[in-house]
Amino acid sequence: MGKFLISIDAASCTGCMKCGLACSELYHRAFNPLLARIRVIVKGEEAEISFTEECTECGVCVDQCFYGALSKTPRES
Amino acid sequence: MDWNGFAGNVLYVDLSAGELESRPLSRDLCEQYIGGLGGCIRLAYENITPGTEPLAPENPVIIGAGPLVGTSVPASSRVYGMTRLPQSRSVGWCGAGGVNFGAFMKYAGFDFLVITGKSDRPVYLDITGDAPVIRDAGSLWGMGVEDACRALWEKHGRPAGVLGIGQAGENQAAYAMAFVDRLSTMGRGGFGAVMGAKNLKAVIARGMNGITVADRKAYKKLTKDLFENIRNYPYLKEWQDLGLMKSLPIISKEEYSEAKVRRMACVSCPIGDKDIIRVSGLIATSSSAMNLYVPTIFGMKDHKEAVTLMTMLDGFAMDMFEFFAAVGFAGDLAVAGIISSDEATPPIDLTKFESMKIWAEKTAYRQGLGDLIARGLDAILERCGPEAAPYLPYKVKGMMPYAGPKAPLPWNLFGTMELGQILDPRGPHVGSGGSPTYFAQRPLEVFPKHLKRMGVPDDALDRILPGWREGAPTDLNIGRLLKYSHRWFTILGSLGVCARAQINRFYNYDLCSDLYQAVTGIPAQGSDLGDRADAAWALLKIINMREGFGRKDEEPPAKWFEEPPFCNYLTGKPITPGEVGVMIREYYAEQGWNPETGAPAMPAD
Repeated sequence: MGKFLISIDAASCTGCMKCGLACSELYHRAFNPLLARIRVIVKGEEAEISFTEECTECGVCVDQCFYGALSKTPRES
Repeated sequence: MDWNGFAGNVLYVDLSAGELESRPLSRDLCEQYIGGLGGCIRLAYENITPGTEPLAPENPVIIGAGPLVGTSVPASSRVYGMTRLPQSRSVGWCGAGGVNFGAFMKYAGFDFLVITGKSDRPVYLDITGDAPVIRDAGSLWGMGVEDACRALWEKHGRPAGVLGIGQAGENQAAYAMAFVDRLSTMGRGGFGAVMGAKNLKAVIARGMNGITVADRKAYKKLTKDLFENIRNYPYLKEWQDLGLMKSLPIISKEEYSEAKVRRMACVSCPIGDKDIIRVSGLIATSSSAMNLYVPTIFGMKDHKEAVTLMTMLDGFAMDMFEFFAAVGFAGDLAVAGIISSDEATPPIDLTKFESMKIWAEKTAYRQGLGDLIARGLDAILERCGPEAAPYLPYKVKGMMPYAGPKAPLPWNLFGTMELGQILDPRGPHVGSGGSPTYFAQRPLEVFPKHLKRMGVPDDALDRILPGWREGAPTDLNIGRLLKYSHRWFTILGSLGVCARAQINRFYNYDLCSDLYQAVTGIPAQGSDLGDRADAAWALLKIINMREGFGRKDEEPPAKWFEEPPFCNYLTGKPITPGEVGVMIREYYAEQGWNPETGAPAMPAD
């Protein structure tokens, strides 16, 4: 279980993928959202945001979101 | 060679032979021309044989993305193209918000694509797998941009970047564009027609390579500060909510709010301005909702009809400004009896949806008079002769400059953006000359800070803003200032950063140098970046001079001086051709080019 509970508001997502860029750089030292532990797919009017099994809920993706599509709350220890 | 910032490869495609070859990216190209836009210009210099016809197989389509594209640097997703354009006949830069395409092309392993030849059947270029492949596009040919993108995403998966054309490009309409991920427009002047002439419907890109940075510590510090500046920008939320509607409110905020379905952004952009809207049940996508209402400028009153028409034009991938200029010119000639009413049937009426719908189709498919309209202003003038000239809209290099007193972007002050419409080697475009004087009618006292941000050196400021050192500038030299607008535009474009005002306000010259060095590891301090951008822009000028363009092609349209005229940026008094002539010479002089001919020195190699 990670440090944060991450919440998704897909309606606010613009598909900018800054979340995936930050995640991929942190864990792979290279930028590419396809390497990230968060997956963003925008299909026309709809956006889908999901996390891979490797996600540790570290929250780096949330810190990079400019649009309010991701938010985090600390888990109680 | 280990690369940082760059993917490290150029993909050469010969569609005639069906051959693909990946070659290592030249380190010299990156060090001398930055990358992105600058790299595309250099590749055009090397790969376009002077005299090549725009629609000939030998004319290459060059596509590139700069070293910051694919990183998390905010709004660094720009993709650029270079080719000889059919409408202006210039060798022109073509730029677009990269949405996914620019970054995903780099993740696929390529900084640049150089595509020559002509396929014997419709094809698309697939760079989503282990090796690039030319694939059959028979089932895509005839589709509009939206449908073609959807079909490619369904076949190859999402997310992926798609650069594609519509029916106007397939039929080689002179002002057909390409679209990036069906959202961004690329290539006024006929980039899409050049793709169509090659039977190239689209390029789709995706890959698993990552973009690394040379100095992670410096990168983190630079981007952290940049992110904080953007987050603290007081108008951030308003820009995010309204996009370009904030600065150009073509409809009311209330109407826009009701129509807006989703805001879309290019990869890494914190202030996305692409739109998906719904109007009376019709879903429309666009590089900005503002564009979808452009027919209202020409008198179309019903907003759903305006959006429907624009959705058609975007589907065809046809430049709206050139279409309205050409069809409007033809309509005026029909009213004057110079074009027969038999040909101009139904009557051309820019205010009527039913008329425009038919003429959009006739133009995209080149049927009847639509064939002439699809060939643009010069073709119409050539066929109809001198008696048509009085009806001609503003024209520069065969295209309509769309900022002017009686232009679609109605504006009567003559600043760098307006002068840039005749001095950008590609032809009339507002992007490269716009930045400095977007501060229209602001007091001169605000200019030094803005121009220093762009990297204008103090000695140049003495020439541009006399009196600035005393805090009381007395004049603004538009010609000399334009040189630095072109340089700033080239720096941002070569890095891959968006040049739009709401983005470039967060960047400054030193930050660009530091980011370039941190990402690529290539030293860039002091005047380095500016010198490289100047070299790229001069090379663009040289490429066009070797095609025969010169001082004669940089005359302002006579109609700019007729009632209502362009006016002096500071005094508001009508400008004269003589004053513009002085501005042009001063621009050349500031560039270090021949002040009479505008010729730069040739590059060493």
